[in-house]
Amino acid sequence: MATVTVRPPAAPEKARVAERRRRKRRSAWRRQLVALAFMSPWIIGFTAFYVYPILSSLYFSFTKYDILTQPVWVGFDNYTFMFTSDGRFWTAVRNTAWVVAVIVPLQILVGIGAATVLTRVRRGLGFYRTVFFLPTMVPLVAAALGFVFLLNPGGPVNAVLGFLHLPEPLWFRDPAWAKPGLALMAMWMVGQTMIIFLAALLDVPTQLYEAADIEGASPLQRFRHVTLPMISPVIFFAVVIGVINGFRYFTEAYVVSKAGDWDNPVGTPQDSLLFYSSHLYNSGFEGFHMGYAAALSWVMFVVIMVCTLVLIRSSRRWVHYQGGFR
Amino acid sequence: MSAATVVTRRPVPPAIRRRRMLLAVANHSVAIALSIMFLLPFAFIVSTALMTNQQMGSLSIWPSPFKWSNFTDLFGFFPFWRYAWNSLLYAGLGTIGVVLSGIPVAYALSRLRWRGRQVSFVLVLSTLMLPVQVTIVPLYIIFVRLGWIGSLKPLIVPLFFGDAFTIFLLRQFFMTIPQELSDAARVDGANDLQILLRVIVPLAKPAIAAVALFNFLYCWNDFFSPLLYAGNNPDTWTLAISLQQLTQLSRGILANLQMAASILFTLPVIVIFFFAQKVFVEGVTLTGVKG
Amino acid sequence: MRRRLVGLVALAMLVAACTAGGDTNAPVETIDPNAQHDPLTLTVWSNFSGREGKITTGVLESVKQKYPWMTVKHVQGKDDEAIQRAINGGTPPDVAISFTPDNAARYCDTRAWQDLNPNLQADNIDKNATWPAAIFSYTQYNNIQCALPMLTDAYGLYYNVDLLQKAGFSEPPKTLSEMTTMAKKLTEYNADGSIKVAGFMPLFGMYQNTVNTLGHAYAAQWYDSSLKPTLSTDPNWTKMLQWQKSIVDTIGYDKLQKFFGKLGGGDSEWSAQHGFETGKIAMMIDGEWRNAFIAADKSKVNYQTAPFPVDDAQPDLYGAGQVGGTIMGIPKGVKHAAESWLLVKYMTTDTSALVTLAKGLRNVPSTVESLKDPELNADQHFSTFMKIFQHPKSTFKPITTIGVTDQDLFGSLAEKHQAGKVSDLQTELSKLDDQITKQLQLG
Repeated sequence: MATVTVRPPAAPEKARVAERRRRKRRSAWRRQLVALAFMSPWIIGFTAFYVYPILSSLYFSFTKYDILTQPVWVGFDNYTFMFTSDGRFWTAVRNTAWVVAVIVPLQILVGIGAATVLTRVRRGLGFYRTVFFLPTMVPLVAAALGFVFLLNPGGPVNAVLGFLHLPEPLWFRDPAWAKPGLALMAMWMVGQTMIIFLAALLDVPTQLYEAADIEGASPLQRFRHVTLPMISPVIFFAVVIGVINGFRYFTEAYVVSKAGDWDNPVGTPQDSLLFYSSHLYNSGFEGFHMGYAAALSWVMFVVIMVCTLVLIRSSRRWVHYQGGFR
Repeated sequence: MSAATVVTRRPVPPAIRRRRMLLAVANHSVAIALSIMFLLPFAFIVSTALMTNQQMGSLSIWPSPFKWSNFTDLFGFFPFWRYAWNSLLYAGLGTIGVVLSGIPVAYALSRLRWRGRQVSFVLVLSTLMLPVQVTIVPLYIIFVRLGWIGSLKPLIVPLFFGDAFTIFLLRQFFMTIPQELSDAARVDGANDLQILLRVIVPLAKPAIAAVALFNFLYCWNDFFSPLLYAGNNPDTWTLAISLQQLTQLSRGILANLQMAASILFTLPVIVIFFFAQKVFVEGVTLTGVKG
Repeated sequence: MRRRLVGLVALAMLVAACTAGGDTNAPVETIDPNAQHDPLTLTVWSNFSGREGKITTGVLESVKQKYPWMTVKHVQGKDDEAIQRAINGGTPPDVAISFTPDNAARYCDTRAWQDLNPNLQADNIDKNATWPAAIFSYTQYNNIQCALPMLTDAYGLYYNVDLLQKAGFSEPPKTLSEMTTMAKKLTEYNADGSIKVAGFMPLFGMYQNTVNTLGHAYAAQWYDSSLKPTLSTDPNWTKMLQWQKSIVDTIGYDKLQKFFGKLGGGDSEWSAQHGFETGKIAMMIDGEWRNAFIAADKSKVNYQTAPFPVDDAQPDLYGAGQVGGTIMGIPKGVKHAAESWLLVKYMTTDTSALVTLAKGLRNVPSTVESLKDPELNADQHFSTFMKIFQHPKSTFKPITTIGVTDQDLFGSLAEKHQAGKVSDLQTELSKLDDQITKQLQLG
């Protein structure tokens, strides 16, 4: 490092330096204003549609409120009921946990698998990619109705199973098979996940594969030691998105439950499809227990925050970044 | 990379050629099998949509006769065009809203230096993780007070105040635009607004297109929010709700009509997809890989 | 930073507390209907649609003949939630119609619908002389009469005469044990073992089989006089569940599910593919509206109606059935409460209006006078239900402030039981009682 000698500024220079500093501060202040101006739509939106609702949700969670009458302060009653007396709460938690623990990994596995197949084919890549992606284009409501029809106990899928002399489950009319039915639907819609993994797989530098080949690695070892670490950021991304979507799982379950009979409570059959969002919706908007729904939403908020933190912390251990910084 | 020597290709011995072909065949068969599995549900849905009521209960896979009138009958059952218009209104205005509000915010988060930038970005990301259910109770109450329940306003207005996904995607993209371009414009005397409009936006067209497309589709398919805010007023139903509510009409709609309705609902999306495939795939990749 | 956060929280909570609100009750006003009156349009919200909607509109508009200054605007497709939200938002319809009397308890309790007792007294209407006793089980709560019935429903047995005769039965079953025997005999199977014709469709969750409709055959009690649930303490519930399961097991649970699926599932209930209308179900429980649907669907089924069979141990129950149906009321905050009352009075007590409505909708007329109509009584298929409605033991399920929640919870358990997944029914029932009690406390 070269040394720089600084001469103390002469008297008129002092004024100029001070002026420069003032100008810098003013321009910094102007920059701040400009930035805030650009940010203003989001700032307003964030305050009005996130900060305020979350905080006032906290207030409502301590009340009994049906909109018609004044909210009545009930302290922790809602929470007590939730954790000790509401059987459906625990059912909803279990079902949502099932989605997060089963459907998310399944989608990732199938996504990686399908993407891997795509990396191997040379001709017709565009065609296959389109076909695999197409189901994602179908709106969830339509897909759900479609699967209700397909998995009708007397319907096409069971007909094929019967033809192959396999057992024919009752799918959405059987609480033990309803969630697997939804899992089938989720696997049919892996297109988006698959595309991301395809891009990631194609991004893995071929030199690494060549190096592995030279070392005499088997395909499995290649996958474990080259492919997986290289695509781990994408896996992490898919896991986070998957978990968040798992918590907000609603539409498919709602449509499927009500498909048989509109009087069916959300969660039919027998609460096997009662997910957390459905329970929240039910309590607040079909039962008009706004206070209880608010309490449910706060518990959901806390759990999601914790899960995300855990995921981010754990990611430091198994996610490997090629370059750049977070 | 080493240079000069010309690489001559050795003729590939037949054993290896055979092996390569077998592998290719194996890969293709898996791909084809997967394709069939992905397409089969479509096939069933389409064939059911064309069946008569009597055929519904039977095991037949092929509709005979082809009841194309199922599609036209639908229009008699419910005001399809009104619901399509509502969906279009929500998706169209919503997309305009997120783009208009997302661009300046993404610009501030990526190309300006200011205090609180890092914190704001983290906050934006955090809202991505928040399921809508966490905020609906008070939001619903606000909209009741405002008298907006039963209209599309609660769906559209918030989108004019920023959408986290849009902002995130645009910010990632803006960050890839070289700083020199902004600097050059600044030297020419442009202020930030002009830089944004004249330099950044034209360069970011693919990202903006991707974002607009994603948002349009998200709104088109959205079920939960319209159910909540517009669900009690059939005049403002979107296609997504009407499709589900179709199953609840007092004159029951059998599966064949439901499937026909599903197809009509999906068709615009598939059409858009075919015309904008590239934008899609690029957009999806943008989100995932750049992380 | 933390101080600012706490301040922000407090502020938000304060704002939330201030923006929530309700308001006071207005006193009952009456007007002289025969006096001169400025023209007025009243809006009525209901969840009617299609054919039924048109008929209802016609009768609503006929009120003009009685009060020439009154015009009625009927807005259809508004379910209970929609009406409730309008009341919350301060813009209620002048008159509300609901298909879910289970919610009446909450409407009465929160005064979302106004108490009509003062109106009835002011007009010298004797409640007990005007209406059969059954209606009070679903229109009032805690002595608040916040709704009145506008026509009603009654549940009974529909049976396919041809199928019964083919199996050698000339009479419909009167007791549940007869029902079981006949159901078994009337069920026909295909070569592959699947069901071709079901003698009776017992599964909960199918058509109109609910713990309520079937529970009524045992006069099973939901609550005792202090509103404590009696699902585990009233042995009739267990008996009903066991009876239902015995039929399910005899015919075959999986087979029944597949059979229902092949019919088209729940969607077939309102279409011409209805299992009974297409001759695939020999006996079923359904409401009186099925008559209208059979006619509209031009079904060829040769059928008859009768009261639903009852518990062998309670023969005096025979002739009764679950009743209850459409209710009408005046929401809180309407601008012209007195005029709203005139319309409600017309639609719920005027004999000719009710008879016209009953003939059009094929629902049971709800007042003692309208039940005497000769033409309705001449229709054999239909008059069964009129008699059921007037039976002293016919009733609706007791209504509570938690609406249909108790039914949903019990329904879930019943479905688990019929699938054979409940090992200790008594314990499950007491757990259910417990949960319902706590839910009632939560409000």
